[in-house]
Amino acid sequence: MSQNFKIIISTLLSLTFTSQIIASPIETLERERANTLSYVLDKNISVSDRKKFLKQSKMRLLDLERMAINNKNISTNPDYNTIKAFENFDLTFLVHSSLEKGKSLSITWLERIGLTTNNLMNTKVIRK
Amino acid sequence: MKNLKLKILLITLSGSFYTASSLANNDLGGWQPQIVEKMYVLPPKHLNKVLNNDFNSSSLALNLQSTDSNVKSKIKKINDLKKMLPGLSSEEKMEINHQIIVNKRDYIKDMNNLLKMKKQKLNTKKIFFKKIETKLKNKKITNKVNSKFFENKKIAMTRSQKIDFKVLEDTSNDFLSKSKYFEQYQINKDAVKKLQLAIEKHPMNKHSILSKNPQNKLEAINNFVHSIDSEIAVLDMKEQMISYMAKIVALDAMSLAESVTQITDNQNQNKIINYNDPINAISFFTE
Repeated sequence: MSQNFKIIISTLLSLTFTSQIIASPIETLERERANTLSYVLDKNISVSDRKKFLKQSKMRLLDLERMAINNKNISTNPDYNTIKAFENFDLTFLVHSSLEKGKSLSITWLERIGLTTNNLMNTKVIRK
Repeated sequence: MKNLKLKILLITLSGSFYTASSLANNDLGGWQPQIVEKMYVLPPKHLNKVLNNDFNSSSLALNLQSTDSNVKSKIKKINDLKKMLPGLSSEEKMEINHQIIVNKRDYIKDMNNLLKMKKQKLNTKKIFFKKIETKLKNKKITNKVNSKFFENKKIAMTRSQKIDFKVLEDTSNDFLSKSKYFEQYQINKDAVKKLQLAIEKHPMNKHSILSKNPQNKLEAINNFVHSIDSEIAVLDMKEQMISYMAKIVALDAMSLAESVTQITDNQNQNKIINYNDPINAISFFTE
């Protein structure tokens, strides 16, 4: 009896928790962006494979970026992540940013986080 | 026990207040604006029209109309009675005057109710507009808080629209295959642009731009509230007029009552002799 009761309570609780979970467009976009960047940073794939994976995700990422920008519901009570996402346009909307600058997606992202060619060339190995 | 008695007393007292107010409303009729939330976005002028249409279907409007027709019929009756006065005997004149006073009294009652109903209508309208004013002010406050986010979103929209053509160029080279959303986005964007141009060219657009601005809307609502306040002040003056009319009717009734008692006195020929007055008994002592 107690086991049945526990099962019922746990299913009810899981239903209440899952019913409230609605992913915002920014969360979906961030997930896809993370997926795309994982291909950029993956050392174990070849250059041609990386190019292929990036082409696939670029289309999806562009669609998600457009959906996020044109979403009207996002304006009503935006959460902290949404506010921050729109504050950092170049980091959040990578495809748009790369097309604006006329550079590839990976270079746009790397430059935005400070890994430019000049910075890398100026790095020195120092022994402490 | 004492606390319980006090609680019961408080409950019954508060309940009696509510019932009293509801009874008062039922006498003159009620009006609760049945306006949907979406209509709040209408310009104040149109909102006023919607409000007036809503009022016309309420019980207060029906009572107002019936009271107004009663008042008109009383005025007609008083005028007809006044026309009958010349050429009548004193007794008949007295009867006609009595009828005039009764009709004047009824007129004052009906007119008082009419003014109360008009005031009720104006107060309800004022409360409605005040609610909209509060909502607009609250919206202004929340907009201030979210204004930076809205700015950033606007910038994002503009940047996205600027590179639409670049996206089209790149799809042939970089993108693997166009998605369904991508194709539909292009079609819908073109359609939206055409509609936006049509809205900009529309002759009513300039007029609505002025009313969409929250500051203009607040000003328009303040003007409406101010005009309602001035109408209420005029009604207050009219209520004062009614009170003076009531005094005059009371004085007319008093004079009519005096003339009636004078006539009955003359008819009975009652002379009151005060036997206890010494002047009347002087002859007993001087003769």
